Amino acid sequence: MNVEDDSTSIPSKRSSPDLFFPVSDSEEEEDVITASGALAGPSSSAINPPSTATSSRANGQSGHNNRSKQSQEVFGSQNSDDIIALDDIKPSNGASPSKFKRTFSASPPIAGSSSPNGFEQGYLGEFVCEGWSLSKGKGYCSPGSKVIFERPKPKAQVEESRNSIRDTKGPARLVNGKVVGAKGKSIGGKQVTLGSMMSKKTTPVPPKKSNTKPVVDSIIRFRNDRGFVGRLSVQEAGFLTHLLDTGVIELSGHVIDCPQSLSTGSTILLNVKVFLARKAFENVEKKDERKEEGTFWQEQKETTEEEAMRKRKDALGALFSRIGVKPLRSNALLLAQKKNGAAVINETSLQHFSDSPKPKRSPSPSKGSNGTASEKGKGKASAANSDDDGDGDEDEDSGDEAEKLDERQMNEIDAIYAKAQQGDNRLEETDPPDTFLYTLRPYQKQALTWMSAREKGDESIRDNQSLHPLWEVYAFKKEHIEGQPIEIEDEDDFVDPSRKFYWNPYSGELSLTFPTSNTRAKGGILADAMGMGKTCMMASLIHTNIDADISSTPPPTAPEDEEPVSKRPKFKQVTLSNQWRATPTVPKPANVNLPRGTLVVCPVSLASQWHDELGKMSEKGTITSFMWYGNDRIDIDRLLSQEGKKKVDVIITSYGTLASEYQKWKKNKDKPTYEGGNLYDHDFLRIVLDEAHNIKNRTAQVSKACYELKGQRRWALTGTPIVNRLDDLYSLLHFLRLEPWGHYSFFRSFVTIPFLNQDPKALNVVQYILESCLLRREKTMRDKDGKLIVDLPPKTVDIQVLDFSRPERQIYKHLEDRAKRRFIQLDAEGRAMSNYTSILAMLMKLRQCVDHPLLVLGKSTEDDESTDRLLDADTGDEKNNLKDLIALYAGGAKSKVNDRGEEEEVDHAFAEKVLKELGEQETTPICDICSNEMFDEVLLPCYHRCCQDCIVNWIGTCEDQNKPALCPSCSKGPIKLSDLRSIQRKRKRVNPLTGTHEEGEAGVTIGKVNLVQSTKLRALVRKLDLMRQEDPEVKTLVFSQFTSFLDLIETTLTKEGIRWLRFDGSMSQAQRAATIDEFGKKIKEPLVLLISLKAGGVGLNLTMANHVFMMDTWWNEAIEQQAIDRVHRLGQNKHVHVTRYIIKGTVEKRIMKIQRSKTALVNASLSGGASKDKGASLADIKKIFGLDDDDSEDEVY
Amino acid sequence: MADSPPGISAAPKDDNLRHFDVTVAGPESSPYEGGIFKLELFLPEEYPMNPPKVRFLTKIYHPNIDKLGRICLDILKDKWSPALQIRTVLLSIQALLGAPNPDDPLANDVAQNWKENQSAAIAQAKEWTRQYAN
Repeated sequence: MNVEDDSTSIPSKRSSPDLFFPVSDSEEEEDVITASGALAGPSSSAINPPSTATSSRANGQSGHNNRSKQSQEVFGSQNSDDIIALDDIKPSNGASPSKFKRTFSASPPIAGSSSPNGFEQGYLGEFVCEGWSLSKGKGYCSPGSKVIFERPKPKAQVEESRNSIRDTKGPARLVNGKVVGAKGKSIGGKQVTLGSMMSKKTTPVPPKKSNTKPVVDSIIRFRNDRGFVGRLSVQEAGFLTHLLDTGVIELSGHVIDCPQSLSTGSTILLNVKVFLARKAFENVEKKDERKEEGTFWQEQKETTEEEAMRKRKDALGALFSRIGVKPLRSNALLLAQKKNGAAVINETSLQHFSDSPKPKRSPSPSKGSNGTASEKGKGKASAANSDDDGDGDEDEDSGDEAEKLDERQMNEIDAIYAKAQQGDNRLEETDPPDTFLYTLRPYQKQALTWMSAREKGDESIRDNQSLHPLWEVYAFKKEHIEGQPIEIEDEDDFVDPSRKFYWNPYSGELSLTFPTSNTRAKGGILADAMGMGKTCMMASLIHTNIDADISSTPPPTAPEDEEPVSKRPKFKQVTLSNQWRATPTVPKPANVNLPRGTLVVCPVSLASQWHDELGKMSEKGTITSFMWYGNDRIDIDRLLSQEGKKKVDVIITSYGTLASEYQKWKKNKDKPTYEGGNLYDHDFLRIVLDEAHNIKNRTAQVSKACYELKGQRRWALTGTPIVNRLDDLYSLLHFLRLEPWGHYSFFRSFVTIPFLNQDPKALNVVQYILESCLLRREKTMRDKDGKLIVDLPPKTVDIQVLDFSRPERQIYKHLEDRAKRRFIQLDAEGRAMSNYTSILAMLMKLRQCVDHPLLVLGKSTEDDESTDRLLDADTGDEKNNLKDLIALYAGGAKSKVNDRGEEEEVDHAFAEKVLKELGEQETTPICDICSNEMFDEVLLPCYHRCCQDCIVNWIGTCEDQNKPALCPSCSKGPIKLSDLRSIQRKRKRVNPLTGTHEEGEAGVTIGKVNLVQSTKLRALVRKLDLMRQEDPEVKTLVFSQFTSFLDLIETTLTKEGIRWLRFDGSMSQAQRAATIDEFGKKIKEPLVLLISLKAGGVGLNLTMANHVFMMDTWWNEAIEQQAIDRVHRLGQNKHVHVTRYIIKGTVEKRIMKIQRSKTALVNASLSGGASKDKGASLADIKKIFGLDDDDSEDEVY
Repeated sequence: MADSPPGISAAPKDDNLRHFDVTVAGPESSPYEGGIFKLELFLPEEYPMNPPKVRFLTKIYHPNIDKLGRICLDILKDKWSPALQIRTVLLSIQALLGAPNPDDPLANDVAQNWKENQSAAIAQAKEWTRQYAN
């Protein structure tokens, strides 16, 4: 970048090279300007502070002015025409004092503070380098003589410089093959000449906003008062050029050694002192401005400014390494990087990190800085770049499989969580105010400390808090002035803060103020493991920090062109750009319009829980929450500004509501009729996203809806900040507006891409990010005294591997064979890809069939195409077979409906005969077949009894062997399935609705055999029965992913007289709340809550139950874990029992296998088959169908 | 087996719990009296829906038991009922020793001999019992 631009300055000013000319036309040597002159050229003066020279004249007392004084020493006595007197700059400065003044006032405070007014320049250091003589002759230059460095003019300078040579110097002649200057006239014996400096390397520098990039050389000449002496060696000139051109640095120097007689190309050893100009530190604001202008993450194109920043970054990096400036303090990230061998931050290593995808065209300016490191870094850099190039296209692709984390990687992340949390147990504890009624546990008090600190922006609360991860601390050196004793600097010494400066080797920014890692973010990610009381902690925070913290609000320094937010909201469009600016730094002219209220966004199932819990936790009248469903025509501003009894402090809404509000707002906000009052028009004090992994997909509407919310403090609560890819984290950071990670390009190039390249740096970065903004504790963590922070009762998981009953197995086999065949066929024909969805549908059928064979008939048999396709895919015969089979299986139920009257009568007569006999038995009889107590006792026509399973199995076996199924006990028969009668032993029936015991015959009833029960269902009922004997008030959760299965469970439980409640996605918010409420009530009988995994898997607090049944296997183990943690969480004081039912030899075991490897199919299934990478998923499908080699049964369970 | 009937024992093998070592005492007043016959019994995967597999290891002279020790017994074949247990199976086998049925032979030569010269056959059976089943 040639000149740092300001949004308020005239854009065209940089476009004309003429402007580089000094105003004064009297200059003989118009083609060059001094380094400081370039800084103060009229073009840039409009926006820049006074040039060093000028200001040092004005107030030369400034401590930073050594270098200026020096220049004056050098040139002060000279008035010869052939150099640019510093005075020449003056007019231009004088021309625009008001303008640059405004620049300062207009800059946002955060950024603007980086260049305090007192600062003029700082001495960075010096280096020794070679220069090449362009003159010849004796006496032009001698050791110790001072030189100044100049850049040739960008254009037309060739002719002019030729003229100037002619004018300023004597004729040159060739001596011994070398051009030798003939004339030497000055005191110092210095001389300048101009050689073929345009001939060599050229650097594209973008001085204009236009895309044409004029070719600019990278030549730096040095001269003394006599004129040109030579040019700097290419190595140094390469990186200095850009910096000089943009006025970032100023140079001075002296000759160390040179041949007595110069000849062209002879080496002059130079000492170059480098100063960082004030201008260098203004760029920080520039950069911010640019960001706001909307190079948002979707647009990956490198703007002119970005390119300039990149060059500057590279050049500064090279300069630093050349000088050997070492940071006083670096950060974990950089240190790690250095450990990895890229010891020097040079162009190549930076390019790796750069967010600029464009390949470099500039000649390697840093080559000299560290060749080996450059080489090392190159391979990686190119990989990263090629990835970057495709970035723009891939943006919409959130399903990039390659980014999925595998198990090992997830483990690494876990380790990072752990590392990042080291020392968190030493956090102070803060007591919540009295208005908060709950008692917090110590770790929750610690969280409160941390959260309050985060909201106040107090970084010191965690000792490992530090510098912004991308910045390093440097100190200006004390310049050694000739004649004074050399001060030896001890690096460990305390450095006067005024001498510190900060450098961001990634962006090229410099700053004089301490860049903290979250200059913009207030808030963070509370990622405590599930069940640790995140809601509670957040509530305590809401109590603790009720009011907007005025002191922490940045002072009102709104740029003039920006309306204060207080006037803005209703009728003005809130664009993204002023969004970015406004949020944390919103100018607050008066307390009246301080952001207020807390917005809680949570899954709809949790909304009422938030509402209730907040109510319970808060002293009456302190914190009032309001459930916002979006449809209410309520002006949020007004709602939150109510006082007294109507006061509302917390608005609770769901992600769904938010997303639709967002749509509405987006559509309407620009219309003239728009009246405001939308959620999006209010500036919240605090925004809380509960279960924040809901926004993990950054392209989803709901995520965008969250990003756009206006709030001062932003919190994300989630137990799984990284679900299965690192980009999940990005979305949270973006919501938090955590700089710089909240920028996609940054995150991608620092985290995602290195990670994909297996670069360990990525994890260091992640760790750094997590350290800075995330608090995570796990139940297994211990406090500083070594005690578990959460003392939860134990949890046992029992995986019950069950065997299908015979008919189930037959149906399942049938389905599986069919599906397998179809898949093989499709695969062979190469059509598996295009039929992906139907394959997934077949898989779904299989999974349902494992639960209950009736599910595959489902409601959809007649009308759902995919079902039919599965059922009827092949011949008509088969279709009949299957349906017959199922009809047979469900036979009992059907015939009951069909010929009810007759059957019932028969049943009664039948019952009477056996009742007496049966009634005499008090204990459960032993089954002849399995020699166990009978379960699901059935009566054979011969009045022998056995378990339903056993006899059904026996009948099936006999059918298989084509022999009559005779009674195992008396060999009468043959027996048919329809001959069986089930014996219902006395059990009090409970009406699930009224909860009262139904009147009914005690003792034994005989009925149709209910063959419809599934193995899992029977196991469940059997277990529930046992549990009821142990604990008559036991409360149980039963999870299934299929609501249709829940329906069947309902029926069975009703029949068994077990009271149940239901919770699923079809219920309204109010119904859900009522259900949870009901479930929590104390009743004197067992109660089962049937929950759909998807609707109730997250957030709910169901600690009143301590038994959990997982009826089926979900693709994602974490979801199941979530479900279990509804119960195993804070507040649970009983031993938690989890039972998972798995059917042997079915897809379930393979799903479990896949679940553990977390592979592509999981994603495909979850995203409805929209995945790009179907190939990988197909491989998984093969596994599921058992078509791969590795299909052993044992290892899984 | 804890509840084994007199004269019968069955113990699962160490390496395979479905595999039993069985001994059956020859029933009283039969040619096999005094003999202790070793058998092996194997419970297939499908047990009890399918019958156990039983075989004599001790050489025995019996029309319904062949040289390889295979047993011809209806409950071990088509008359199997899942209500039958190992215990009942072994009792049936013991009973078979007491009541040979040469009309439904497995070892044809033995059956032939048994039918034609019963006393010689019984003597032979006694001899084998003395010789092999002690």
